[in-house]
Amino acid sequence: MTTESATFERSFHVEGITRVEGEGTLHLTVHDGQVSDARLKIFEAPRYFEQLVVGRAPDEVIDITARICGICPVAYQISAAGAFESIFEVQIDPQVRALRRLLYAGEYIESHALHVYLLHAPDFLGYASAIDLAKDHRAVVEQGLALKKVGNALMALLGGRSVHPVSLRVGGFYHVPRRAELEALRPALANALTQAQATLDLVAQFQAPPFERPVRFVSLKHPAEYPLFDGRIVSNDGIDVGIGEWRAAFREEQHEGTNALHARTLSGETYQLGPSARVTNAADQLHPIAREALARIGLQEEIARNPFWSIAARALEILHYCAEALEIIDAYLPPAAPFAPWTPRAGAAGWGSEAPRGILWHHYETDEQGLVRSAQIVPPTSQNQGQIEADLRAFAPAVLSLEHGEATRRLEQLVRSYDPCISCATHFLDLTVEGA
Amino acid sequence: MIRAATTPHPRLGVVKLASCDGCQLTLLNLEDELLAIAERLDIVEFPEATSHRSNGPYDVVLVEGSVSTPEQLEQIHEVRREAKLLVTIGACATAGGIQALRNFADHDAFRAAVYAHPEYIESLATAQPVADYVKVDAELRGCPINAAQLVELVTALLTGRRPNLPDEAVCAACKRAGRVCVMVAQGIPCLGPVTMTGCGALCPGYSRGCYGCFGPREQANVSSLSRQFISLGRSPQEAGRLFAGFTGYAEPYRDAIVELGGLPGASLAGERAHRAMGAGVNAEGKS
Amino acid sequence: MTNVTKSAIGFLPRAGFQHLIELLAEDGRTVIGPTVADGAIVYGEIHHVADLPQGIGAEQAPGHYRLVHHADERFFAYAVGPTSWKRFVFPPTLALGESRRDDHGHVSFGPAPREIPRLAFLGVRACELAALGIEDRVFLGGPYTDEDYRARRANTLIVAVQCAEPAATCFCTSMGTGPGIRSGHDIALIELDEGFIVTAGTPAGSAIVTRLDLAEATAEQLTAGADQLAAARDRIGDPVVTAGLHDRLLAKLESPRWAQIAERCLACTNCTAACPTCFCTSVSQRSDLDGHTATTERRWDSCFTKGFAAVALGGNFRPRVQDRYRQWLTHKFATWIDQFGTSGCVGCGRCITWCPVGIDVREELNVIAPPPQVSAGPAEAAQPHAPRSSVFRVEGVRRETHDTVTLALSTPDGIDWSTARGEFVMVSLPAVGAVPISISRRLPRGLELTIRAVGPTTTVLTGLERGAEVGLSAPLGHGWPVAAAQEHDVVIVGGGMGLAPLRPIVDEILAARSRYGDVHIYYGARTPSDVLYTEELAAWAARDDLEVGVTVDRADATWLGRVGVVTHLFDRARWDGTKALAFVCGPERMIQATVNALAGRGLTPDRIFISMERHMECGVGLCGHCQVGPFFVCKDGPVFSLAQLGDVFGREGI
Repeated sequence: MTTESATFERSFHVEGITRVEGEGTLHLTVHDGQVSDARLKIFEAPRYFEQLVVGRAPDEVIDITARICGICPVAYQISAAGAFESIFEVQIDPQVRALRRLLYAGEYIESHALHVYLLHAPDFLGYASAIDLAKDHRAVVEQGLALKKVGNALMALLGGRSVHPVSLRVGGFYHVPRRAELEALRPALANALTQAQATLDLVAQFQAPPFERPVRFVSLKHPAEYPLFDGRIVSNDGIDVGIGEWRAAFREEQHEGTNALHARTLSGETYQLGPSARVTNAADQLHPIAREALARIGLQEEIARNPFWSIAARALEILHYCAEALEIIDAYLPPAAPFAPWTPRAGAAGWGSEAPRGILWHHYETDEQGLVRSAQIVPPTSQNQGQIEADLRAFAPAVLSLEHGEATRRLEQLVRSYDPCISCATHFLDLTVEGA
Repeated sequence: MIRAATTPHPRLGVVKLASCDGCQLTLLNLEDELLAIAERLDIVEFPEATSHRSNGPYDVVLVEGSVSTPEQLEQIHEVRREAKLLVTIGACATAGGIQALRNFADHDAFRAAVYAHPEYIESLATAQPVADYVKVDAELRGCPINAAQLVELVTALLTGRRPNLPDEAVCAACKRAGRVCVMVAQGIPCLGPVTMTGCGALCPGYSRGCYGCFGPREQANVSSLSRQFISLGRSPQEAGRLFAGFTGYAEPYRDAIVELGGLPGASLAGERAHRAMGAGVNAEGKS
Repeated sequence: MTNVTKSAIGFLPRAGFQHLIELLAEDGRTVIGPTVADGAIVYGEIHHVADLPQGIGAEQAPGHYRLVHHADERFFAYAVGPTSWKRFVFPPTLALGESRRDDHGHVSFGPAPREIPRLAFLGVRACELAALGIEDRVFLGGPYTDEDYRARRANTLIVAVQCAEPAATCFCTSMGTGPGIRSGHDIALIELDEGFIVTAGTPAGSAIVTRLDLAEATAEQLTAGADQLAAARDRIGDPVVTAGLHDRLLAKLESPRWAQIAERCLACTNCTAACPTCFCTSVSQRSDLDGHTATTERRWDSCFTKGFAAVALGGNFRPRVQDRYRQWLTHKFATWIDQFGTSGCVGCGRCITWCPVGIDVREELNVIAPPPQVSAGPAEAAQPHAPRSSVFRVEGVRRETHDTVTLALSTPDGIDWSTARGEFVMVSLPAVGAVPISISRRLPRGLELTIRAVGPTTTVLTGLERGAEVGLSAPLGHGWPVAAAQEHDVVIVGGGMGLAPLRPIVDEILAARSRYGDVHIYYGARTPSDVLYTEELAAWAARDDLEVGVTVDRADATWLGRVGVVTHLFDRARWDGTKALAFVCGPERMIQATVNALAGRGLTPDRIFISMERHMECGVGLCGHCQVGPFFVCKDGPVFSLAQLGDVFGREGI
């Protein structure tokens, strides 16, 4: 694939994109200044999760699907729990629901701080890694690590550990914290709020490569909250379906040469998920502190048009979730019971939540004992993949004049703007769905 | 055994096979130690964190994930050749991980049941722990690995002593922490008695039974524990599913799963796939 | 209400109980007592009567525990739960010391910062008082003591509450520890429906009791209390016949039942953790990334873990679960008596309830050692403290073989160690580890240690250079009874590294050669390149007052000497064993073969002395690792006469 067959043809090939989660390869062929082929190939080994959960009990599925991704396990757990709670019609205690938002806030803070500081910032500042960056700007990296640590601490308190937490179950939690335990995190979170402001100011000074295009932003939308795990699935161009009805607007397809599925709208078009989509679709629902900060840095239009500015959207969400986490802690009263009991039954339901990278949608069918008969899991990266490739096609001509290595780095930076989670992307369409 | 590397800055590689990246993330989650570690080790290969690449040689290489594709099989032999010390990290690398549950089933059937176009997919019939293919010098268990154990490993590496990674039941840590046995006091099945500690007895501390993510400890008496689960009112299938977790492919959990009736999902997968694929694909299917 | 007179027995109405809690708190104590958490009655901080398990009890059976609600308002109507008081006087993890080692090899050792809380234990049962008494003997009764335990114990006030609700797993009656409270308490309470009969057991208890608003206990109340106790005793019965149990159990070391138990036993350590007297520990070091500073931490361990009886090079003296269960049960009910003059069991039943698969020691004892003769003995005298490391400097390094060096060490503070008895020292290196090493020579201002690199710590130690520092404990254990060999012939048999601890014997004999009869030294090594002390062996051989034989298992081209096992060296010797004493050290198999050969030459077991290898952590008989039958190898050995060891010697899995 790397041969240059004609004088006018150039290939950009990155065997193993770094600073992304999982294993992928970028391949771009340019012919006469036109991109003839742009492919983000995913070589992550298939792990067959949708089949592994068949015959399993719902609480087992919550733990198993978390293992799809070590970066966003909470997203998997919440999405799976939501789908089962929808099937079994479980009512969730409002305090339990608040704790789930808090747990998820921890994951956002951790994942976004990881991406902003350790994965993406080195691109903007011209370093190969955050470790190299720390040699010149140690305080910057330390600030990122400190933010990450607070996110991890939230997850560790609520879930036992930050990678693959153990506390979530259908109906609520196995165990909920005491008020004093949550309050103990307050000082660190208050400090994180300040650091999140500083993060936003830092990234606002970055120079994003000039690249603008119109895009379809898809996110959840909730009447009263910044989108996380409830509401409807909407787009900025009119898609509006129930949270369980993802299939009413989108579909997955499998392509040769990649181990991930691509998702498209039913009419075959690409779309973008993630922080830029949420900030664009729900800017008015950001915490007032974050809203004010967005006004201060004034990048709302850039976030909506230029994918490189997702770094600002991420920083904004760190700020939002630090602020929201503090409010949840201040309002917390331990629920009467950590979880609501439920009765298994046969049924089927889909449910989604906003992983840090975008909507993660699960659909399960259960038998009378509540065991899984079939599963479909649509992770955000397989939905973003089409848009990443479209962006690569559109962006590549602008870097053709650059030295090859530099041009390749720019293309990689573009891919990183989506915070691709390649481990997540590697799973597959259920046969019954395709047949449907 | 871990020995002090001879160079002042040992060359560290972090390599990934089939996995969720959570164990590598644990390294990045050492917020307090990460920069200090980076000053003492040359991190020459860690694609998730740095664009510097190296194919070796390595003084130490941390391997995450199980071997489950033909490329990974080649890769692990290559990594072994280049590494003085090869340390497997996490349940996938040490026990095959959750994806190794497919080893209980007919792989082609499994693949066909989940892929519209199974012919596009490069995958070995089984997902295996690294030690099934190459010599492993040390291992960190867990799904994911425990951060404190990772620091302990790195410290031992840098100071030239044996890492302190006790092989004892989760129960030992559970009781030191003063937790009440969830099995005795609440009748919740718990794999703690047969599982190696390292997590700090996390799950019993969150009012649930251990699900075995650190894998079997030495002389794990799974048959006695299975009998106890059944006497607590669990069906053999439920008991079997408890063993069929993130280290289910490790002996003796593997035997317990088979003995207790195997994986319902796996057999179901086979059945559905055969229905779906028809005779033509079956003909080229594996024995 | 008025304060009762001293002679009368007081009665505290239930409503006054909060006052007792407050008085304990006013005494500067954190009150620890029963409270409900995670489905059980555990011991935790008590600030108010509301924290107590009022009206709550527990149903217990082998492997089973469930909280139940009572109709009454009693605070203490339950039998002991999963927690035992040992965790407050003998913490599950404890920082022992801090050490440093700089880039120049200088080392220093210091104690870990420690805070001893001032506690009041509320609701201690008779069996638990007995357990504390046993722990007192273990930690404070021997030649070495645990000062941390002493401090915690001294800082604790005990409010005992007599048991009225025994569980189905209780057998204190059989063990003679309860249910009635006899001694060991500061304050004793008997709970009745309307309140508590109160007595003080010590002046400290009395100081609290006299501040309580007590009525005089009525005759009816005292009768009710006595009836309640009698009823509790009747409910428990006498499930274990303890008469003669010590001997009965030790006679059944080869019972087939051990293997049957191992089919059920999970070796999960729950029994030992729940046991109020199990005291085994292990020690590990944690250090910073550079190994400059390290903390030594002690944690509860158990004779059921894999590493517990493991030694270097992969050896394990108790490889099977049945070995470990036998060790635990025979120690608890038999050899504990030999060691401490009391049974190690108080009959609280925790090991039965909290065994996840419900193994019942009462049943096992009755099956393995079915009944009846009384056994018990007196105890001990207390003395100094556990040793702390002194800094020693490496004065010389002599390479013995490819993996073995002899370090000459001296103490910078000039203490004369040449007369210090003891067989081995604990050698510690900050951030690396601590290992027991036999003394291979005594020097006027220090000693020599011959060390083979068999693990990471010994690998680092064998790489030390002149000027480096290490930490050494005072010499520990009982050494060779060389003086007893005066006027006798002496046979010294060494295998491999076993020559190192034997070398001081030769030194001592040569220092007063005329006092001994014929002296025979036999040494076997694996290969010629593994032979230790080659020059000294040659020098000894050159003397006409020593017989020296050296053999190797596998020869090479350079070897002109004997080949074969060490016993072949004296197969055809003409000396008469009936006049000799033998000192033997080496791998366990070599010792066994040698002992057999010596016995064949007329040496009786009381004249054969061997040095035993076992896993050692503390070196002073407090961690439990090195037990062999009734002995702690570190404290009682490592040198034993064969007569002393009896049938313990050579037994598999012990």
